[in-house]
Amino acid sequence: MTLSMTYREAIRAALRDALQSDPRVFLMGEDVGRYGGAFACSKGLLEEFGSERIRDTPLSESAFVGAGIGAALGGMRPIVEIMTVNFSLLALDQIVNNAATLRHMSGGQFSVPLVVRMATGGGRRVAAQHSNSLECWYAHVPGIKVLAPATVQDARFMLAAALREPDPVFLFEHIMLYPEHGEVDPNAAAADPFRAALRRAGKDVSLITYGGSLKKTLLAADKLAPLGIEAEVLDLRSLRPLDTAAIVQSVSKTHRAVVVDEGWRTGSLAAEISAQIMEGAFFDLDAPVARVCAAETPIPYAGHLEDAALPQTDTIVRTVAEMMQHHA
Amino acid sequence: MPKLNMVKAINLALHEEMARDPSVVILGEDVGRVGGVFRVTEGLFEKFGAQRVIDTPVSEAGIVGCAIGMAINGLRPIAEIQFSGFMFNAFHQLNCHAARFRYRSWGHYPVPMVMRAPIGGGIRALEHHNDSEEALYVQSPGLKAVYPSTPAAAHGLLLSAIRDSDPVMYLEPKRVYRAPVEEVPEGGDAWPIGKGRIVRPGKHITLVTWGAMLQETLEAAEKADQELKIACEVIDLLSIVPMDTPLIVESVSRTGRCVIVHEAQAACGVGAEISARLNEQALLRLEAPVARVTGWDIPYPFFAREHGFLPNVPRILKAIDQTMAF
Repeated sequence: MTLSMTYREAIRAALRDALQSDPRVFLMGEDVGRYGGAFACSKGLLEEFGSERIRDTPLSESAFVGAGIGAALGGMRPIVEIMTVNFSLLALDQIVNNAATLRHMSGGQFSVPLVVRMATGGGRRVAAQHSNSLECWYAHVPGIKVLAPATVQDARFMLAAALREPDPVFLFEHIMLYPEHGEVDPNAAAADPFRAALRRAGKDVSLITYGGSLKKTLLAADKLAPLGIEAEVLDLRSLRPLDTAAIVQSVSKTHRAVVVDEGWRTGSLAAEISAQIMEGAFFDLDAPVARVCAAETPIPYAGHLEDAALPQTDTIVRTVAEMMQHHA
Repeated sequence: MPKLNMVKAINLALHEEMARDPSVVILGEDVGRVGGVFRVTEGLFEKFGAQRVIDTPVSEAGIVGCAIGMAINGLRPIAEIQFSGFMFNAFHQLNCHAARFRYRSWGHYPVPMVMRAPIGGGIRALEHHNDSEEALYVQSPGLKAVYPSTPAAAHGLLLSAIRDSDPVMYLEPKRVYRAPVEEVPEGGDAWPIGKGRIVRPGKHITLVTWGAMLQETLEAAEKADQELKIACEVIDLLSIVPMDTPLIVESVSRTGRCVIVHEAQAACGVGAEISARLNEQALLRLEAPVARVTGWDIPYPFFAREHGFLPNVPRILKAIDQTMAF
């Protein structure tokens, strides 16, 4: 039997589970306590678990990510919330030079079992400093793992998997997903978070995506069907490590690939996927790998400009249709 | 014409631009009285004084933030970050302010500043001093990034970086700071940002690289020629953002094969972007998949192991051989 809930409720249920099942787990971040989280994910948790385990922090990303690293080294299982990925840049030195390297620098004597959750992505008209998708920055950094739950099911169960990892795990929650409804199957809880998931099978083209772009991509696949194009949709789920085998397997079958990624195009995660397809499926390709990414500007405030800057269902449909026409 | 190493070539460009333009100022940790940890700013404090060569506290976010304010208000600051691995402390200033201010002010406030930083490994330094994080600058629209490989390139690109009206990351491959020397013309021309160069012509395969890796790549090209009779064309990218895509596409369209060599780890590195662009613009001209020779996918190792981490001549040769065998 499945349960119906929102993405936000799924995150909250996952947090509650983690706090109940392991006394070492605590949540820390800006406004996570009294206010209930900038996106209301931790609403009610302060009342349930108290201020020792649900900790409001000052506005200093570097300090509270650093504190999370220290707590993880000291045997705790901290969950740190960063309000948006843009603010995480203030903590980048802690992340790259400490969290990601301490296991390595200590010859394996220390590990940093830290989980960092952050909101990512655009679409809410909150302008240039609250709307970016910088996941690929983190996917570039050895020593950490990066997950992007795109479904309510994954929002419900990826956190527990992240907490089981001995190394830092970064969970990226797209801001447009929080109010989305979905089904949760409690029996599917054990799905390996580092494997990609085939969300729709098809034979003509592989649409490879993650996070907030999954819904747009599935809609695009719906719109392509009446045109006689059967699109396969692969949800990466894990951005580091990437499930290269699943990517190569899908493209080897369909012979065409479009990567949909809300990051800026140049140097994007989509570029890495394109390079991996080049390396792993070169002789299977019938057309160049296409990338549908964000326009390379700061994300605009004005609604029509923000929509134009981000990947949209119509852009994906057009890209696929052109590819099929020119490389039939 | 004097033969200079890269440190002296950068120092010469700094002297020239400070003398030419009174709005140019330098700031950073130990750049003044000490003359920089690598002696790059030597003599500037004595010549131009404490008003224009400014020693700062140890705070990278502060240095970059100050430089942004100076640039918005009419100066042309050159901020030195002592090692590029310390730049992570300033990434919010870089990405969310320096890179976007022109856009957010509707073009009223350009940010003409240069961030100089020694980058890359190979000098047996300790941890946090060896990173090659250029991929992250690529993912910051609004920033430019240059990565010179030789003394003359370092001189010419710095002149352009200082005169540019947007923020430019100027990345100095510290492993080749002192070893190679080259003729550098005093009062010489600025090298355009966004242009790469073919440093060795060849017809069988294109090798794309930048910075210190140019040395290993040229050595591998020479060996490939002598031992395998393979004629490698070597492209020195020089500019990471914007990237000279036409040069790469033209070369690979001729040779049909490409190997990219860089120090940084492969995942989401600059090599991935080049491979993706070749896929988009030259797929039907390719005889073999584009290969990447990069640092391994681990944190940068301790100095005793770094020779095993960085791409070297045997690894590049092997990639050339495999790509030719397709």
